[in-house]
Amino acid sequence: MITPRSLEAGQRFLLAAKKWWTADLYQHLRQEYAAQAGAEAARHDVADVAKVLEDLTEYRYFAWLERHLQRMKYSGTYGLARYYDQRREAVLPQLQDVEKQDGILELRPGLPLPRYYTSVDIHQHPGGVWSDEVAGFVYEHGARTTTPMLGADHADLHTRFTSMVGNLMTPQKILDLGCGFGKSTQPFYSAFSQAQVEGIDLSAPCLRLAAHTARAAGATNVHFRQRDAADTGYSAGSFDLVTSTMLLHETPPEPLDTLIEEAARVLEPGGRMIHLDFHHLPDAFARFMFYGHGRRNNEPYMQPVAELDVRKLLQRHGFADIRIEPFSEAEGLGVHRTDLWRLPWTVISARKSSPGAKSKVGRTSRSSKHTRGSRT
Amino acid sequence: MKKSIKREARTEQLFFDDPAVDGLMGVLMSLATDHYVLRDRVQLLERQLVRSGHLDVLALEASATAEEAVAANEDAAAFATELLRPLLGLQETAGIGGRFSLKKHKRRARS
Repeated sequence: MITPRSLEAGQRFLLAAKKWWTADLYQHLRQEYAAQAGAEAARHDVADVAKVLEDLTEYRYFAWLERHLQRMKYSGTYGLARYYDQRREAVLPQLQDVEKQDGILELRPGLPLPRYYTSVDIHQHPGGVWSDEVAGFVYEHGARTTTPMLGADHADLHTRFTSMVGNLMTPQKILDLGCGFGKSTQPFYSAFSQAQVEGIDLSAPCLRLAAHTARAAGATNVHFRQRDAADTGYSAGSFDLVTSTMLLHETPPEPLDTLIEEAARVLEPGGRMIHLDFHHLPDAFARFMFYGHGRRNNEPYMQPVAELDVRKLLQRHGFADIRIEPFSEAEGLGVHRTDLWRLPWTVISARKSSPGAKSKVGRTSRSSKHTRGSRT
Repeated sequence: MKKSIKREARTEQLFFDDPAVDGLMGVLMSLATDHYVLRDRVQLLERQLVRSGHLDVLALEASATAEEAVAANEDAAAFATELLRPLLGLQETAGIGGRFSLKKHKRRARS
């Protein structure tokens, strides 16, 4: 039995090891690359970086630690999945009635889950974030305690993103795609209390926790529904803001194309789509590290999405005022750190420029591939 | 209550020329984590015992009873299983296995 104190100590050690990996080992690797590549680095592509780095012992250690510290976080002796497996009788009752009260939560037990979503356990979360009733607790705990923020508060990321949105607009009808356990949705329903907020996700365990958290916070302007972001079931023009946080890179290019088409459909003319994701990769070294991260962290669509021409994709679906800009995940961390391994946080924003998204030529229509749910 | 789905076994990713190193790294890190957790717990216990005046060093060296020995053996077996499991080289989750290289990567424009 893993006691709370043992879990805390075990996770503390893993986080400490991750911080060393993020700073000391990464810096060492970066310096080694700079020394070996010299002036050629500016002309390097990903394959060139790989030729320099992949045979270095330090890189092998870097890659090993990236893979296995994450594995240990979930599946190790003091892993979160094991801990909540042992505590399911204690934690699950609090979510028991969340579906029955005030309609804050809508689950669809028969909703078909895409194969790309179920075939890989993203983040090395055993069984994925969807299959186990305690998955929401595991995911939430992992996001809260084992992200090496180097003194910064990870919750700040979502709050700062919401503030950035608030500088652009005062949304009234917000759709948060892939809302997970509601961490990204919470700042929206709190900051925009006059707005109606909808959070959708494929994971029932995460949605239960999201609804429970919102109710505990006294929120009355939010609903959580189990729906596919590529086929939301909402009427056309239902929202003036469609947003997502860390969703795009988990979606393969083809469903992502459908997702963007769907976002355009449910936005009202002039509405905005604003995503916080990973895209800004300023050089081949950053790209090489990011592609490796995707592979090692069980996030296989990171690379293909990073290689997409996102601007062209958005234009094709009728978006204008497209901006793709790096975003600092926390105050003081900056956006171009070369001394720390950080994910390439990026804000992708655009405005729907015409009534109805442009229709696409030569593509299978969404409705022929998915079972459309009832309109809300 | 619905538990996590069972996955088929997949071979773990490899990072070193000799897979033995990958396995041994796993053993080492698993051991290091447990070492840290135990150190944390021993420090806590010692502080508590010293504060209350109950620390009896001699009792720590006393022989185990038969019942205690059984429990200790079970505990040791569980510890050894956890420690050595990385040597099997199997993924804990459903992901891509084996080695990969980006040496021949060519960026393709997508739209």
